[in-house]
Amino acid sequence: MIEQVLIGSVAGGTCIVFAGLGEIVAERSGVINLGTEGSMLCGALAAYAVGIETGSPWLGVLAGIAAGAALAAVHAALVLHRNANQIAVGLVVSFLGIGITALFGQSYVGQGVVPLDTWDVPGLSSLPFLGPVLFEHDPLTYLSFLAVPLSVWAIWRTRAGLVLRAAGEGPEVLEIYGTSARRVRWIALLVGGAMAGLGGAQLSTAATLNWSEQMTVGRGYVAVALVIFAGWHPVKLLGGAYLFSGAIALQLQLQAEGWELSRYLLESLPYVTVLVVLALLSRRRIHGGPAALEKVFEG
Amino acid sequence: MTVLDAPVPVEADAPPPPPDDDGGAGGLAARAAGLPAVVLRWAIIVGSTLAIFSAFLVAKGADPLAVLESMWDTALGTPDSAGETLIRATPLLLAALAAAVPARAGLFNLGGEGQLLMGAIGAIAVADRLGGDWPTVPTLTAMAFGGAALGALWALLPALLKVATRTNEAISSLLLNYIAGIIVTWLCFEPWKDPTSLGQAYSRELEGPERFPVIWGQRVHPGIFVGLGAAVVLWLVLRRTTWGFKLKVLGGNPAAARRAGLAVGGLSVAAMVVGGAMAGLGGMIEVAGTEGRLRPELLAGFGFIGFLASWLAKHDPLKAVGASIVLGAIAVGGSGLKITAGLSGGAVNILMALVLFAVLGWGSRPAGAEGR
Repeated sequence: MIEQVLIGSVAGGTCIVFAGLGEIVAERSGVINLGTEGSMLCGALAAYAVGIETGSPWLGVLAGIAAGAALAAVHAALVLHRNANQIAVGLVVSFLGIGITALFGQSYVGQGVVPLDTWDVPGLSSLPFLGPVLFEHDPLTYLSFLAVPLSVWAIWRTRAGLVLRAAGEGPEVLEIYGTSARRVRWIALLVGGAMAGLGGAQLSTAATLNWSEQMTVGRGYVAVALVIFAGWHPVKLLGGAYLFSGAIALQLQLQAEGWELSRYLLESLPYVTVLVVLALLSRRRIHGGPAALEKVFEG
Repeated sequence: MTVLDAPVPVEADAPPPPPDDDGGAGGLAARAAGLPAVVLRWAIIVGSTLAIFSAFLVAKGADPLAVLESMWDTALGTPDSAGETLIRATPLLLAALAAAVPARAGLFNLGGEGQLLMGAIGAIAVADRLGGDWPTVPTLTAMAFGGAALGALWALLPALLKVATRTNEAISSLLLNYIAGIIVTWLCFEPWKDPTSLGQAYSRELEGPERFPVIWGQRVHPGIFVGLGAAVVLWLVLRRTTWGFKLKVLGGNPAAARRAGLAVGGLSVAAMVVGGAMAGLGGMIEVAGTEGRLRPELLAGFGFIGFLASWLAKHDPLKAVGASIVLGAIAVGGSGLKITAGLSGGAVNILMALVLFAVLGWGSRPAGAEGR
C-alpha cells in the first residue's frame, strides 16, 4: 500500500512541481503570479488538443509550454507596464484561462488522448520498491527530477540566477548596475508561465489522460501556496508537491481498501495538510521571501 | 492623461450597449464632441472588450453578433431576464463586499467562495433547528444571522492565521474554499440528503417561512434589497466612522498605522470577519431565495466573481452594486451562449476577464490593498 501511495504521489505531483518551480522563478524576480492556475489549464488543453490534431504528444507538450507562457505574458504586461495589483491581475488571468479553455476545449471533451507513454528506465525500474515508485513514469516526470537540482543550480550558481534574485531583492541596485528589472521580471514570468504550461501538459497527457473544463481544480493555486510553504526553495517545493499529491493518493488508496473513514474527510486531507503546514511554517518563513515581492518598481 | 485620474463613474452600472464592435470609433467621436472623460473611458473599455471577445468567438468559428445578441437577450433583453440578472447579482454583491472590506485594510480575501457556502450551510442549519415553527420574518432573520455567523467564522480562520503566524491570507482563504466545497458535498450526499431525492444529492427544499417570497416575475425575491442595504450601511461605515478611517489608514500604510498606535491585529481580524459575514449573508440569500436547497455545485465561481466585482468597483460598496450587476449580467449571458450558440457557458469568463483587465490596467491604482 505504501508503494501505491508513493507511486501516486510522484505521478500526481509532477504537474505541481513544474508549476511551483515556475512560480519560484517568478517570485524570486519579485512578482507573484496567481495566473499559474490559468497557465496550467491552457497548457493542459493546448497539449491535449495539439496532441490529438497532430498525433504527436511531444508537439502537444511544446504547445502547452507556449500556451502557458502566452497567458503569463498577459500578467506581465499588466503588472510590469500598468503597475496593476499582482494578486488581482493574477486571479483575472486565471479567469481568462478558464474562459479560453472552456471556449476552445468544449469540442475536445471525451476525445481520446494521444498519451505520453510511460517509459521505464532500463535497469533502475527493476529495483525493488524504488523502481516502481521513481522509475516507471512518463518522460516529463523524469524531467521534473532533473529540473529541481537544475533550478537550484541556476538560481544560486549562475549569473542569470544572481540577476533574477537581485530583481526580487533590490531592483534599485540592479538598475544601478545597468540591468532593467522590468526586463528580468518579464523573462522570469514567461519562464514561470511556460513551466506551469508544461505542468498542465503533463497533467492532461500523462497523468489524468483526459480533458475536462477546469480540470486543474486549484492545483495552480496550490502550487503558489507551496512556494511560500517551501520558502522559495525548489527542493522543499518538491517535498511539498509530493506531500499534497501523496495526501490525494493516500485518500484514493484508503477508499479503495474500503476504510470506514468518511470519504469527504479524506478528500479534504490534501488541502488541510497544506494549510496546516503553511500556518506552522509561516512564522519562520516570513523573512525567507524576496524583499521586493509584490512591490511596484518603476524602472 | 487626465483620464487616468477620473473617478469611476456611476455609469459603470449601465449595461453594456447593444452588441456592436465600433465602440473604439465611438470613443474617438466622443472625444471630438467634448464629452466627459468618464464616458469616453467606458466607451473605450466596453468597445475594446467586446471587440477582443468577438475575436475569440470568430477564432472558435462562431458568429460574434449572434452570440452577443443571444447573451444580451438572456441577460437583459426581457423583464424576466433582467430579473434573472438581479438575483444573480445579489450573492455577487455580497461576495464583493466580502472582498471590499478587507481590501480597505490591505487584506486579500479570496475566500468569498467558501464563505458563501458556509453562509448557506449556516442558514439551513438554523432553518432545520427552527423546524418551521416561527413566522416568516423572524425565521429569515434568524437564518440570516446563522449564515452571517458561519461565513464570519470561515473568514476568521485565515484572519487569525494571518495575525498569529503571518500566514498569507490570500492563500489560506483560497485553500479554505476547497474545504468548504467538500463540506457542502458531504452534507448533500450524507447527513442532509433529501430522502425523496432518488439518487440526486441535495438537501431538502426550504419552504414556507424559510423562503423569501417571490415579489416579481417567477423568481425575483427581496434578497436584492438586503444586498443593497448592506452596501449602503458598509459605505457609510467605511466613509463616516472612525473604524472605517482606521481601516483606510491600515490599508494605506500598515507601518504608519502601527506607529500611530492602531490595533493592527484586531482591525485586520475585524475587517475579514465583517467581510465573511457579508458573504455568509449572500449564501443565506441564495438558499432562502433563489435556490431553496443546498446542492454540490451551489454558487460555484460566485466568490471569485464577487472578488473581481470588488476590484471593478475599487472596493467602494456603492459602486460594487453596479459592478455586481454588470458581472452578473455577463454570467447570466453565459446561459444564452450555451443555449443559442452551443458554446460552453464558461466562455463568458473571457469577457469578465477582459473588463477587469481594462479597469485594472487603466493606470490609476485603487485605494487600499496597495502593496503590503
